Amino acid sequence: MKNKPLSILFSLILPALIFSAWHFATVAELVPTLLLPRLDAVGRTLFEQVSKGSIIKDVSISLSRIIKGYALAVAIGVSLGAVMGMSRIAEKFFSLTFTSIRQIPMMAWVPLLVIWFGIGEKSKVAVIFLASYFPILMNTISGIRRTDNGLLEVGRMYQLSRWEMFRTIYLPSALPSVFVGLKLALGISWMAVVGAEMIAASSGIGFRINDARALMQFPVVFCGMLAIAVVGVLMDAIITAASKLATPWERVR
Amino acid sequence: MGGELEIKGLYKSFMVNSQKLSVLEGIDLTVGDGEFVVIVGRSGCGKSTLLKIIAGLEMPESGTLRLAGKPISGPGFDRGMIFQEHRLMPWLTIERNVALGLGRVKKKDRARIARKYLSMVQLEGFENAYPSQLSGGMSQRAAIARALATEPDTLLLDEPFGALDALTKIEMQDELLRIRANQKSMMLMVTHDVDEAVFLADRIVVMSSRPGRVRAIVNIELPEVRDRGSADFAWYKKKIFDYFFEHGSEESTDFTI
Repeated sequence: MKNKPLSILFSLILPALIFSAWHFATVAELVPTLLLPRLDAVGRTLFEQVSKGSIIKDVSISLSRIIKGYALAVAIGVSLGAVMGMSRIAEKFFSLTFTSIRQIPMMAWVPLLVIWFGIGEKSKVAVIFLASYFPILMNTISGIRRTDNGLLEVGRMYQLSRWEMFRTIYLPSALPSVFVGLKLALGISWMAVVGAEMIAASSGIGFRINDARALMQFPVVFCGMLAIAVVGVLMDAIITAASKLATPWERVR
Repeated sequence: MGGELEIKGLYKSFMVNSQKLSVLEGIDLTVGDGEFVVIVGRSGCGKSTLLKIIAGLEMPESGTLRLAGKPISGPGFDRGMIFQEHRLMPWLTIERNVALGLGRVKKKDRARIARKYLSMVQLEGFENAYPSQLSGGMSQRAAIARALATEPDTLLLDEPFGALDALTKIEMQDELLRIRANQKSMMLMVTHDVDEAVFLADRIVVMSSRPGRVRAIVNIELPEVRDRGSADFAWYKKKIFDYFFEHGSEESTDFTI
């Protein structure tokens, strides 16, 4: 598919089919609207919420939490991952502790984090951090570790310092793998924040969905879910674009 | 200019499945300033290990190595190495790859030096290309430019043309001789291509394998510009081949029942 508009159109076929199936199933009353609201009802609610700005507010609250927790995870995950990838001693020192912590599902942290940080911002940021930290760390370590030994020998021939070795050989070599981690972590942090907001929060898109469920406002639940999907796809696209910008040599062939 | 390379009683072994396997045993070799010595041997005879030890990338277990009178204790800018694979950084442009070893040079001079050596290997116009955009032969030229850029007195070549097609290989050999005429640096090359060895070398060191030992040293008394089709050239080739395939040689112990 060389033609760009055509290829975008092609990938829109399946979503269009799903939405039409949804529409006809509810219009023909094949499924009760209590279980699956009509598409036009969801559309109306969505329009209302967008024009009132309430859904944008909910999403941006969740997004700001993601940005804080994710940025922290990127900073610590990439730098510690680099150290652990380059030094066997550092790897040995942290490995057991991290592997143990990694076994705990992120949602299991929520009760504890709420006790520690309350139901406000801090506990959400902490959940996002915990959720996105490990994919970033693991992929950074494996990327650094997979650096071609032949290239490292070249670096040694030119007596590059440890920092120069990192900057000119290890890091660029690990970048594609680091970006896999960043992408994975962003998806997971989106799930984490919504999950955490559903369990304990007074704002955010996850809270809105849970609140609407309690009030039996099912179109609002669907709007929330749609918003999560759309924002997730957009963030994924941003990371993909950033990864292409950061690794220009991968595109020329 | 550098001085001679002196290797005495070099010994090196590897642990393979918790068994000690000697790779190099009692290597004595002296290479003169500006001399072109080619080491030939079967794969696994330790010739690449020998080159890595001279490069300072590996340490011998015993024996002494001196370059221009100074013992070799690690990599140094007096030596440059060209590997079988070009080993260019895929993420750096050709110019920046060639400038990789120029950390000690003033920043503003780096690009100029890189360009000078790129033009020496006929790669003008490719400064801003990435390695993946170059053919195998061009990449190896860039690797040669990188090794030359630091102006080493000794150039170590580890089967540098082994991965190239036959025609490109011949082209590169001619190129190497041209560069050598310019640079006058000592060259120490490892190969299993006897034709290549006779074409390039002042002296050929024949190595036996397991453990790697110096089997014979052959002086090549052929004119500077060599004709691969000449009778003398063929005579030297046969002489080298004979070391590997004559009956009753120690090599044939590999095939005992």
